[in-house]
Amino acid sequence: MRLHPQDLLAGPCARYLHSVAMFRLQGSKVLAVDMTGDAVKAKNGSMVAYDGQMTFKKMSGGGEGIRGMVTRRITGEQMTVMEVSGHGTCWFADRASEINLVGLQGDKLYVESSNLLATDAGLRTGTSFTGLRGASQGNGLFTTTVEGHGQAAIMSDGPAVVLRVSRQYPLTVDPGAYIAHQGNLSQSFQSGVTFRTFMGEGGGEAFQIRFEGDGLVYVQPSERNTIAGDV
Amino acid sequence: MPFSEINSKMVEATVLPGQRLFSQRGAMLAYRGEVSFTPNLQGGQGGVMSMIGRRVANEDTPLMTVEGSGTVLFGHGGHHVQIINLTGDTLYVEADRLLAFEGTLQQGTMFMGSQGGVMGMVRGQISGQGLFTTTLKGHGSVAVMAHGGVFEVPVTPQRPVHVDPQAYVAHHGDVRNKLSTALGWRDMVGRGSGEAFQLELSGNGVVYVQASEEKL
Amino acid sequence: MSHYPGAGPTVHDPMTLPSDDNVNNYTFCVELKGSQWFLQKGKMIAYYGQMDFNGIGHGRLDGLIRTSFHSPLHASDWVVAQGSGKMLLADRAFDVNSYDLEDGNLTIRSGNLLAFQPSLALKQSIVPGFLTLIGTGKFVAASNGPVVFMEPPIRVDPQALVGWADCPSPCHHYDHGYMTGLMGGLRAMTGLGGASGEEHQFEFVGAGTVLLQSTEVLMAEQAVGATPQQAGVPGGHGAPTGHPQQPGAPRLPGQLGDLQRRFGL
Repeated sequence: MRLHPQDLLAGPCARYLHSVAMFRLQGSKVLAVDMTGDAVKAKNGSMVAYDGQMTFKKMSGGGEGIRGMVTRRITGEQMTVMEVSGHGTCWFADRASEINLVGLQGDKLYVESSNLLATDAGLRTGTSFTGLRGASQGNGLFTTTVEGHGQAAIMSDGPAVVLRVSRQYPLTVDPGAYIAHQGNLSQSFQSGVTFRTFMGEGGGEAFQIRFEGDGLVYVQPSERNTIAGDV
Repeated sequence: MPFSEINSKMVEATVLPGQRLFSQRGAMLAYRGEVSFTPNLQGGQGGVMSMIGRRVANEDTPLMTVEGSGTVLFGHGGHHVQIINLTGDTLYVEADRLLAFEGTLQQGTMFMGSQGGVMGMVRGQISGQGLFTTTLKGHGSVAVMAHGGVFEVPVTPQRPVHVDPQAYVAHHGDVRNKLSTALGWRDMVGRGSGEAFQLELSGNGVVYVQASEEKL
Repeated sequence: MSHYPGAGPTVHDPMTLPSDDNVNNYTFCVELKGSQWFLQKGKMIAYYGQMDFNGIGHGRLDGLIRTSFHSPLHASDWVVAQGSGKMLLADRAFDVNSYDLEDGNLTIRSGNLLAFQPSLALKQSIVPGFLTLIGTGKFVAASNGPVVFMEPPIRVDPQALVGWADCPSPCHHYDHGYMTGLMGGLRAMTGLGGASGEEHQFEFVGAGTVLLQSTEVLMAEQAVGATPQQAGVPGGHGAPTGHPQQPGAPRLPGQLGDLQRRFGL
């Protein structure tokens, strides 16, 4: 993990504004990152073009250090990550997925690793146990966490809708449409949906995740959980 | 200009007597008026020799001639459509990305290897397009398809641009292209094997890049 | 937690979500105030509030089904949502739009219809694979790319057709020039030159509106019920073959159901 002098000196707001690598969206499906000598981490193979001077270095996801390595082994969160550094503009995109920018100020973002496109140098990534949801989505029981101060770009199949969860407004989500959440949320699995039909048929929204607490949930306008139709 | 964008995935073309269009087969969505659609035996213009050239070049995307009088709506595969206007210069584009273009444009094929030497020959193979690329030259407009929309990156002598060959759509202007390997590029940029290459474009012009590494 | 700078998209809560309107091009928000909506299964992506989802044929809904749902062969793909709150609908990131009918009728490809108010009556169209909505109310439909409205006379690629309103049902149009003449004969004999893919269209005439989607790639079709096998009924030749499961047949344990159907497994 690297720290930038700016991160240590400036206040929270300035810290955000002076984040060295600037993430901006070019349209809704391309992330442009203007870099001045710093590094960003991005999903392997997601670079589509760059100008200026860039170097690419392969990394692995799942957090830094030995603990991260061990969790990676266990969790099967096999996101291979590359570190891009240099001067110039680098454009990232992945299979025409929609890209959503998330600004983090010390809080934690939980995102399926396949939906994480890029993080700037101020953010750390790790893995976390998510319980049943992963199992129902076939994504393993672990999910990627991103924390720190900086910007992350997450992907969705169609533009994500960001829904606020508060004490008085809990939210229920189709597992296939869930992509990420941030804030102080507890999640529970619920199957309180009656699908008794005259044929006794199941299917549909039989299982749902209920979020309670305080935070944001990102859902995509699609029930697919993998983007290129891997189901 | 015969093409107008209805939305990001559909264009409307005006067909007038004596002004024919070429389009990818099966890309017509609807039409009004008296318009005929004739499949081209030779996949465009240029006669038999050109056809053989394109067969060899694997650039024989089936085209049809659109003639008559009326309006035609084109769209294909849910891909995004970008209209590029040419004013005398040459557009380099892979044939299966052509949705429709004006008959005033002169169609040809170009051996990409002639610019980049051995690496240039590899270029065609890695982007799955053979060694040839279609060229369109003259005055007129072209509707090009891309997966997820395209963005333009200007190429200037001071700023060469590097593009993932899978995401490359087209370019025009006075641009040289070269395929190269980058330090550390191997096995992490691009998917699968054999994609440890980048397409370097230098000179003066514009390159169109799509928001995806998937070929059409 | 109130301020997330750089969070690109707008943050929604139950107060700011629209009522019976689009959130964006791909997501529609339905507000239930003790009311009911018919919903294709699997299209709800999230909701706030208290809601029940019941299959068509659930005892309590008998009256509703009798007045509004006249397609027994689609019954297993639909549910009724009731309660109060706001729910988001979406379909595989396809474009979603709502349409208001006022004492009107609109015929739509069955796979494109996502949801409708019970004030509308749903019937199977005489054109196989299409459903007709009759009455006054709102419905939500998906399309592959934005929908474009056209007025007849127009000829349409069958795959680009989403539906039509008010005008007569379409007829087939064949391009004769294509198979006649010397070149046409050669093509027909040798297959050389191939087909343009444009030899056949649906032709619309009369007054009305034709709905087109922006691509000729159909959305993966929801299983369409077979029309009764009866003389004089168009398409009355049984369910499409190749489906491992007859639509409407009881589902056996271990089968993937909708998912299986959707991905053609």
